[in-house]
Amino acid sequence: MPLSILLPMVALGIAGIAVLLHLLGLSRRAVLADAAAARAAWLREFPGDAPARVTLCHDRSAALIETETGRGVVWGMGADTTARYLDGARLTPTKTGLRIDLPDYTAPRIHLTLDATEAAHWQDALKETA
Amino acid sequence: MTDAITFPDVVNWAVPFFIAAILAELLWIVIKGRGGRYETRDALTSLIMGAGNVASGILLGFIAYGFFMVLWEITPLDLGTSIAVIALCFVLDDLRYYWVHRFGHRIRWVWASHVNHHSSQHYNLTTALRQTWTGTFTFMMVVRAPLILLGFHPAMVLFVGGLNLIYQFWIHTEAIGRMPRWFEAVMNTPSHHRVHHGRNPRYLDCNYAGVFIIWDKMFGTFVPEMEEEKVDYGLVRNLGTFNPIRVAFHEWVGIFRDATQPGLAWRERLNYCIMPPGWSHDGSRETSTAIKARHVQAHPEAAGTPGLPPLTEHTS
Repeated sequence: MPLSILLPMVALGIAGIAVLLHLLGLSRRAVLADAAAARAAWLREFPGDAPARVTLCHDRSAALIETETGRGVVWGMGADTTARYLDGARLTPTKTGLRIDLPDYTAPRIHLTLDATEAAHWQDALKETA
Repeated sequence: MTDAITFPDVVNWAVPFFIAAILAELLWIVIKGRGGRYETRDALTSLIMGAGNVASGILLGFIAYGFFMVLWEITPLDLGTSIAVIALCFVLDDLRYYWVHRFGHRIRWVWASHVNHHSSQHYNLTTALRQTWTGTFTFMMVVRAPLILLGFHPAMVLFVGGLNLIYQFWIHTEAIGRMPRWFEAVMNTPSHHRVHHGRNPRYLDCNYAGVFIIWDKMFGTFVPEMEEEKVDYGLVRNLGTFNPIRVAFHEWVGIFRDATQPGLAWRERLNYCIMPPGWSHDGSRETSTAIKARHVQAHPEAAGTPGLPPLTEHTS
């Protein structure tokens, strides 16, 4: 197939499908229903390290996890979730909460929506980890 | 020897079909409220990975093709281009695909290229297009060398490889449950391939087939989809980014960081490249074998069931 046809078709196809998905409401981010859901999402990534404490964000988009081996975060990745330990994390306050920079090529940056009290709590908790 | 043989570039010609089928699957899911899930950024990443795969083929395809043409010059054999030869080439190339795919899961250097195909937590037709940008660097083109040396023209080998890839497109769906029993017995199907994309311990490293599932049954890597264990899609450690660059290169970066850390013996550096994913010099990580063994320890009732080892001294 000539590139003059292939390239526009691929570009339009990708853009069209992305716009359609968004218009269908399929861009909604995952919400952690409650602490149990956050716990389950953490255990899905780290089945051998059960959370001792779960602190859910007010908008339930992420949770701070404390286990026997350290602290971590579970957060929404599109319609799903993932999790990481917070070793070596750098925290930067933002207008809407906190930005976490991780020394991890597969999860370099996490944006958290937190109110002022939550942001302070996360920062205090992570001072010991970073 | 016939050099001026051309076959259609079937993968590029299939692009309109890919787009139409994705729209049809999406419509089915939205109307029926079942049969899979779509999410905008996940699908967008998959589609960009697919476009990047086509681009890398255009930019780097000459390396593999040049290698094949050198072999074609060397070989005294020429099987011609009859329908029977093309059919035989298709079957043998599918066997080649099985082994390349198996290497892709068991050798980290090859996994670094293939991992992106498994990096979505969704399983829909866009996942089929989440293809590698770095396949050339795995050097897995050497596994095709016997086909060329046996007298199958390079253009034919690439043609049947394209057909193989197109066949595998439709099996990346949850909208189809099971196919007729005879079909499930011989062919790779949505059910078999869902299992391959699972991150459940039971479903790790199995069902490598491209078109014919018989290879997995022959070589002992077949695991059926089990009603009692829903497939959980994605990687053992799911990505925290949709950035296509990071999706494409993250395992290569991981290999580089692991193999260049200070204080390792050269053998350990090499092992970070060629051992199965999850291998580490200090045993601090888990391979799929270790994950299965740990799972069986925690769930002894599952020991010896499909995809899981029996309880032995090693696992108990």
